[in-house]
Amino acid sequence: MENFTKLKHVVAMGIILILQFGVKISHASTMENESLILGERLGVTASEQQDRTVRGTVYSTEDGLTLPGVSVVLKGTTRGTATDIDGGFTLSVPDEGGTLIFSFVGFETQELNITNQSVFEIQLKPDVTSMNEVVVVGYGTMRKGDVTSSIGGVKEEDFVKGAVRDAAQLIQGKVAGLRVTTPSGDPAAGTQINLRGINSINGTNQPLILIDGIPGDMNTVAPEDIESIDVLKDGSAAAIYGTRATGGVILITTRKNDQGRNTVNYNNYVSVQTIQRRPNLLTGDDYRRLIAEEGIPYTDYGGNTDWIGEMLQTPVSQNHNLTLFGGNSTTNFTGSINYRNWDGIFLRTGQERLTIRADLNHSMFDDKLRANVQVINRVFKSERGGADGYAFRQAMIRNPTDRVRDDQGNWQERDGYFYENPISRIYEYTSQSRFNEMRMSGSLNYTPVDNLDLKLLVSNVQSNDLFGGATTFNHTDTWLNNRNSTASRSTSAHNENLVELTGNYNKSIGKNFFTVLGGYSWQDAVFEGFNASNWNFPTDLYTWNNLGAGAALQNGQASMGSNKNQWQLAGFFGRFTYSYDDKYLFMASVRREGSSRFGVNNQWGTFPAASVGWRISNEPFLKNVSNIEDIKLRAGYGVTGTIAGNPYLSQISYNFNRDQGAYVGGQWVQGFIPTRNFNPDLRWETKIEYNLGVDFSLFKDRLSGSIDFYRRDINDLLYNFPVPTPPYLFGSMMLNAGSMQNDGMEVLLNFTPISKAKFVWNSNFTYSTNRNKLIDLSNDVFDVSNEFFNAGGTGEPIQDYTHRVQVGGPIGQFFVLKSVGVNEDGLWLIENRNGEVVPITEAVQEDRQFYGNGIPRHIVGFNNSFTYGRVDVEVNFRGAFGHDILNFQRMFYENPKNIAYNMLNTAYDPVYGQRLDSDLVYVSHYIESGDYLKLDNLTVGYSFPGRGVMKNARVYASGLNLFILTKYQGIDPEGVSVLGFSPGNDERDKYPTTRTFTLGLNISF
Amino acid sequence: MKVFNKIVLGSALVIGGSLAFQSCLNLDEQVYSEVLSENFRPGERDIPAIIAPVYGSLRALMMGWQGHFDVQEESADVIVTPARPNGWYDGGTYVRMHQHTWTAIQWQPTNLWQSSYRSITTANRVIAQIEDDQISIENGREAVIAELKAVRAFAYYLLLDNHGNVPVVTDFRDVSLPQQSSRAELYDFVISEIEAAMPDLSQDARNTYGQMNYWVAKTLLAKIYLNAEVYTGTPQWQKVIEVCDEIIAGGAYQLDNVYAEVFHWENQNNEEIIFAVPYDEIFGQGNTVHMKTLDPLSRFVYNMQAGPWGGNCAVPQFIDTYDEEDGRLYDTWIMGPQFHANTGEMVISYTKEVPSIAATTSNQGYRIGKYQIKQGATGSLDNDFPFFRYADVLMMKAEALLRLGNGTQAAEIVSEVRARAFANTNPAKATVTAAQLEGNSRYQYGYQNLDGSIDLDTGVIPFGGFLDELGWEFAAEAHRRQDLIRFGVFQTKSWFNHRPHPQAQDKIIFPIPEAELNNNPNLTQNSSY
Repeated sequence: MENFTKLKHVVAMGIILILQFGVKISHASTMENESLILGERLGVTASEQQDRTVRGTVYSTEDGLTLPGVSVVLKGTTRGTATDIDGGFTLSVPDEGGTLIFSFVGFETQELNITNQSVFEIQLKPDVTSMNEVVVVGYGTMRKGDVTSSIGGVKEEDFVKGAVRDAAQLIQGKVAGLRVTTPSGDPAAGTQINLRGINSINGTNQPLILIDGIPGDMNTVAPEDIESIDVLKDGSAAAIYGTRATGGVILITTRKNDQGRNTVNYNNYVSVQTIQRRPNLLTGDDYRRLIAEEGIPYTDYGGNTDWIGEMLQTPVSQNHNLTLFGGNSTTNFTGSINYRNWDGIFLRTGQERLTIRADLNHSMFDDKLRANVQVINRVFKSERGGADGYAFRQAMIRNPTDRVRDDQGNWQERDGYFYENPISRIYEYTSQSRFNEMRMSGSLNYTPVDNLDLKLLVSNVQSNDLFGGATTFNHTDTWLNNRNSTASRSTSAHNENLVELTGNYNKSIGKNFFTVLGGYSWQDAVFEGFNASNWNFPTDLYTWNNLGAGAALQNGQASMGSNKNQWQLAGFFGRFTYSYDDKYLFMASVRREGSSRFGVNNQWGTFPAASVGWRISNEPFLKNVSNIEDIKLRAGYGVTGTIAGNPYLSQISYNFNRDQGAYVGGQWVQGFIPTRNFNPDLRWETKIEYNLGVDFSLFKDRLSGSIDFYRRDINDLLYNFPVPTPPYLFGSMMLNAGSMQNDGMEVLLNFTPISKAKFVWNSNFTYSTNRNKLIDLSNDVFDVSNEFFNAGGTGEPIQDYTHRVQVGGPIGQFFVLKSVGVNEDGLWLIENRNGEVVPITEAVQEDRQFYGNGIPRHIVGFNNSFTYGRVDVEVNFRGAFGHDILNFQRMFYENPKNIAYNMLNTAYDPVYGQRLDSDLVYVSHYIESGDYLKLDNLTVGYSFPGRGVMKNARVYASGLNLFILTKYQGIDPEGVSVLGFSPGNDERDKYPTTRTFTLGLNISF
Repeated sequence: MKVFNKIVLGSALVIGGSLAFQSCLNLDEQVYSEVLSENFRPGERDIPAIIAPVYGSLRALMMGWQGHFDVQEESADVIVTPARPNGWYDGGTYVRMHQHTWTAIQWQPTNLWQSSYRSITTANRVIAQIEDDQISIENGREAVIAELKAVRAFAYYLLLDNHGNVPVVTDFRDVSLPQQSSRAELYDFVISEIEAAMPDLSQDARNTYGQMNYWVAKTLLAKIYLNAEVYTGTPQWQKVIEVCDEIIAGGAYQLDNVYAEVFHWENQNNEEIIFAVPYDEIFGQGNTVHMKTLDPLSRFVYNMQAGPWGGNCAVPQFIDTYDEEDGRLYDTWIMGPQFHANTGEMVISYTKEVPSIAATTSNQGYRIGKYQIKQGATGSLDNDFPFFRYADVLMMKAEALLRLGNGTQAAEIVSEVRARAFANTNPAKATVTAAQLEGNSRYQYGYQNLDGSIDLDTGVIPFGGFLDELGWEFAAEAHRRQDLIRFGVFQTKSWFNHRPHPQAQDKIIFPIPEAELNNNPNLTQNSSY
C-alpha cells in the first residue's frame, strides 16, 4: 500500500492547490458554513485573539513519512492552516484550548484535543475506501468516486513481481479486459497487449501508451521506475485522445518525489530460466530401433545427439535499479538508474539495457508557477548469434544419430532441403544491435487565479537504431548458397515532438461542482532509415564493419535502400464535468483532430464522448445502510478512431521500381509505376463505444470492484479491399469499408477474506469475455464484395493458409479440412461439404470448414497476496478458456511420412487406429483446445525492520510461469500470438517461452 | 508585483502557446520516398520507364512462381510436379493441375489472370496519360500508343486462350464495373486491335528486342488464327499460311544453326527469337525455372549462389517418344549423373522413372535443362524466355498446310526445322514424311500404375505425328496445353496419373477466379465450374 499513498500525495497536492472546493465538499460535515480555509487570510483572524501557538507534524501511519498539505482547522471556528512541505504546521489557538481537525484527501479525518501540550505528532490513517483512490485520466486526475468511465488502475505494490519484461507484464492478469501475453521467450521480445478484442483490421490494435503524458511504449521506462499504471478502457474515457485511442489508453506514471523526501532505494534481482516444456523427439536410439524393428530406412550416423539440448542454455540474468529522491518542498528531484542484463535460453541470445531517468521539479511565486523537467535516456544493446526460430526448427528436425562436429572439428553439415546444422548457424552468425532513445520533456504550470491552472508541456524524443549482422565463411550460407560471408547494416532515426497547452478550471457553487478542461495538442514525427547488405567478402574478419569489401553489391546482387517519412497530428480538446451533491455525475468531452495521413477531403474528425454516473449509495435510502460504502452506476458513450499504419496511403504517387522494369529500347530500365490505387478519400476508422458499469465498495471496503458491459461498433474499417483488376491497377486498395462489432463483459473483484492484525489476505479476481463479429466488408462504392479473406500461412512444405475471416463471423476462425479418421491406407478421412466422409485425395478446397477459434472467449486472473507479520506471499493465477490452437509442431513433426527430418516420438503412434501414410497437410486433427490455467507468479518475501540509516529492506524469491493445467500438447498455450488474423497459430519456428526463478533484494535508505 | 508577475507569466504562456499554435496546424503531408504526381512532369526521356511496367509484369507472369509456364505445362503431358520427400504436395495444388480438378480458387490460373490484367491496366493507364497530355510526347506518339495497344492485345490473347470469357477494358478513366465478353467476341477484339496497331508498329526487328513490333504482332495474329477453331469454332488455316508467309518473306528472323543457342543465358538478340520476355539475373529477375526443377544438390554442378527447390520433372511417357539421336532430348532435359563443378564427384543422378505424383524420391525424373544454367547462377536466370520464335512460325505454317491437305510441303518445313536436331548424330533422320505427320502419335497414352505399367489407350490421334514434332521442338516452352487442346488430346487422353476429367471439354478454359466473380457481379462463371 505504501506507494499507493505516494500517488495520493501527488494528487492531493494538486487538489489542495487547485480544487479547493472539491475538498470542501468532501469534508462538508466537519466544516459547515465555513468559507475559505487556506492561506494568509486565516492568519489575520487568528491574530486578533488572546492566543497561544501550537505546532506539530503530521505523519502518515502507512509509511511513516510526513504529509504536506493537510488541512488543520480549529473545530467550530474559521481558524486553520495547512501543513507545509515537511508536514509541519503552526497555529494560534485560544488559550483555553479546543479541538483540532486534521483532514486530508485519502486519509481518515482525525480530531485532536489540545491539552497543555504545544507540540504534537499526529498520525493520519489512510482512508482505505477504494472510491477515494485517485486515478489518472486523460490530461489530469480524478477521484475514483467521481469517475464515470471504465478505468482500470494498478499501483506499484500490486504489480507482478520478479523478472518482469516490460510495463505491460506488471499488470498481467490484473486489469479486467486487458490481456497481456508473452508469446516469445526471447529476452529482447516484448509483450502482446490487447484490450477488449480485435478492433481494427489494418490499423493498429495497440493501445496508446503515455508516460507522464508523453507517447512512448512499454519499454520507455524500466518497470522498477513505475508508480502506477492506469488503463482507460471504454470510449468515453479514451475519446479525448481521438484517433490514437481505439486500442485503449495506458497511462504510466513514473515514480515522483513530491514530498521533498530524501531517500535512496536500491532494487536488485537475479533470475534463471528454463524452457517451459521440451518437445519429445525421436532419439538416436529410437532411430536404431525403428531401423531394426520396422526397417524404416533412416540413416544411422551412430551417435545420439540431443539437438534441442545442444542449443539451450540455463541463462542467468540480473537487474539493478537505483532510485534517488531528494530536495525540498520547492525544488526536488528523482533520479533513477536501471541496468538489466538478460540472457535467453537459446545460446548466444540476450539483451542489455541501461535506462537513466532524471525528474526535476521547482515551484515559485507561492507555488503559482511550477516547472518540471524530465529526461529519460535508454540504451538497449545486444550481441547475438544465429539462434532464432529457424535454428530451433533445425534442432527439431535434425537426425539425432548425427553429431555437431566432424572428426576434424568442423561443423557436420548434411545435404537436405532446408536442413542445416543449428549449432553452426548459432556460432557462425553474429549480430549487434543498439537502440538509443533520449526523451526530454518540460512543463510549466501556472495558476494565475484560484482554481485556474494553465499548463504548457513540450517534449522531444529522439531515437536511433544501429544494426549489423554477418555470417562467417563457415556458415551454412557458404555451403548452400555459395555466398562467402554475408554482412548487412541498417540504421534508422526517429524524431518526435509534442506540444500541449491545457487549461483547467473548477468551481463549486453550493452542492454543484464543475470542472472545465480545454487544450490543444500538436505532434509531429520524422522517421528515416538506411540499410545495405553485401556478400562475397575476401575475408570474414570484417563482419559488418567494412561493407564495401564485399563483391555482391558491386555486382548489383546485394541491396541497399533508404527511406524517410513524416506525419503530423493536431488536436483541440475539451472536457466538462459536473456533479451535484456527490450523487449525480456527468462528463462530456470532445476532441477535434486532424492528421496528415489522410486525404485533404477527410483531414479533420470529431470525437465526442459523454458519460453519467449515479452514486446511489449517497442517496438517503442507502446512506446509512451499514456494509455499503459506495455504489455507483455508470453509463458512457464515446467515439475514437484508428489511423492506418503507414503514411502516404492517400497520396497519388509513383515509384521507380526495378521489379516492374523491363528491357526497353535495348537497355534495362526501371518501371515507373503508381505506388497503389489512389484513394484521396482515405479517413480513419471510427469506433463508437457504449459502456455500462457499476463500481462498488462493500463491507468496510472488504469487497469492492467493478462490473462493466460494453459494446463497440467499429465503422469505416480500413481494409485492403479487393477491387476488380480491370479496371483497377492493383487487386486491392486501402479503403474505408465495412464494420465490426465487439461486445463483452468485465468483472473486477477486490476482496479481503482475512484482515487480522498479523495476517492479511487480499485477493483480486478479474474476468473478461469478448465476442467479436465482422458485420460487413463493403462500402458505398463496392456494394458487392468478397465476403471473406484468408489469413495465416503454414509455410513449407504444407503451403496453405490457416484462417478465414468471414463476414458474419468472428475474427480468428480456423478454416480447414475436417479430419474424422484415417483409412487403412493411412490417408486422412475428410468430412466433405456434403457431410460425406472421403479420403483426403478426393477432398477439394470447397470442403474446408470453420473449425474453432484462436482467440480465447474467457480470460481470468486470480491474484492473492498474504501478509503474515514480516512475511508476504503472492500467488497469481491466470487462465484463458474457450479457444483453440493450431499445433504446428504436431502438424509438421507428428507424421512419419518424411523420414529426411526428425519428428516427435509420437509420430508413429496410430491416429484413429491407423499409422499415418499421408503427406504433411493442414487438417483439423492438429487444432487442439488451448484452454489453460496457470500458476503464473508465486512470490515469497520477507521485510526487515528499519535500522539506522536503512529505512527498510525486503528480500524475495519469485517464480514466473510456474505451473500449468492444460490439455494442449504444444510448448505453451499462452506462447502463441493472439493478434492479427491468424491468432492461435503456434508456429513451428519459435523462441519457446520460459519458466523464470528470481531472487531479489529491495533496500531503502 | 504579483499582478506584474501574472501578466508576465500569462503573456509568456500565451505567446509561447500561440507560436506553437501557428506552426502547428499545417497538416500537409511531406512525401520523401515516393514521387508525387504533382511534382513530376514526365517527358520523352521517361518513356522507356513509363512503358516498362507493361512488359515488366510479363516476367512474373511467364516464368515466375506458379505462372504461365506452370499453367501450360503442368496441365499437359510433358511436365509434372510430384510430391517429394521435401514436400511439393502443397495442399494438392499440383495434383489438381495434373488431373484437371482445379476450381475457381486455383491459384495458378488466378495468378495468370491477375498478371495479364496488370499489363492491360498499366497499358490503359499510360495510354490515357499520353492522350490527356499528362505525359508529353512530341515525336512518335502514335507509335508508342500502337505499341501499348499491341502489348495489351497480347495480354488479352493470354486471357482468350486461358479463361475465354473475360471483360474487355480499354479506358483507364472508366472505373465502372466492366461487362464480360464471350470468347468469340474477345477473339474479334484482339484481332481488330492487332490489325489497328499494325501500321504504326516498328518493322525494325533488331532494335525492338523484347518489345512489340510489326513482326511480333504478325506472329501473334498467326497464333490466334492457328487456334481459331478452338476459340470460335471456325478454323482459319489459310490465314495462318498467309500471315506466316509474310513473316517468312520479311526475312527479319531465321533459324539458329544450334538449337541450344536459342535458350542460352546470352540469348538476347538471338536471330530466331521474334518475341522474348527478357530476364536478367540482376535487372530483370524472375526466371526461376531452374529453381523449381533442380534438386538442391545440383547447386554444386553449377556453383550456384542459391539452393534450388527440387520439384517438377519430365513425364516418363513423353521422354519415351524421343528418338535417341534427337539432340533436343539432351538440349531440353537434364538426365543421368551430375558432377560437382570443382571436385568432379558425382552429386546426384537423375533417373527417368517417376513412380507416382504422390511419391517420388529426390532424384527421380529428368529435369528441365533447356534454359542453360551458367556457372555461378543465382536464384534468377539470365536466360530470356522466347515466347515466339521463328521455328514457331514455320511449324504454324506447316500445321496449316498439313490440315489443308498439303502434307508434302508441310513435311518439307518440318524436316527443315528438324535438321539441326540431327545434324551431329544422324542427319538422315531429320527428314519426315507427310504420312508420318498425319499418322498416330508415338506417345504411349494411358494411365501409369504404381508398378510402372501403363493402361494403354491406343486410340488414334489425327495428325498425332505432327503433335509429336511440336512436343519435341517446343517442350518446356509453355506451348503444350494449347497444342494438346487443338489436337483433342487434352480432353480425351490419359497420361501419367491423369485421366480425362468427366467434364473434360469444359476444362479447356480455366474458371473465372472466384475473387473476381465476387468483385464484379457482371461476370458469369465459365461452364461447369
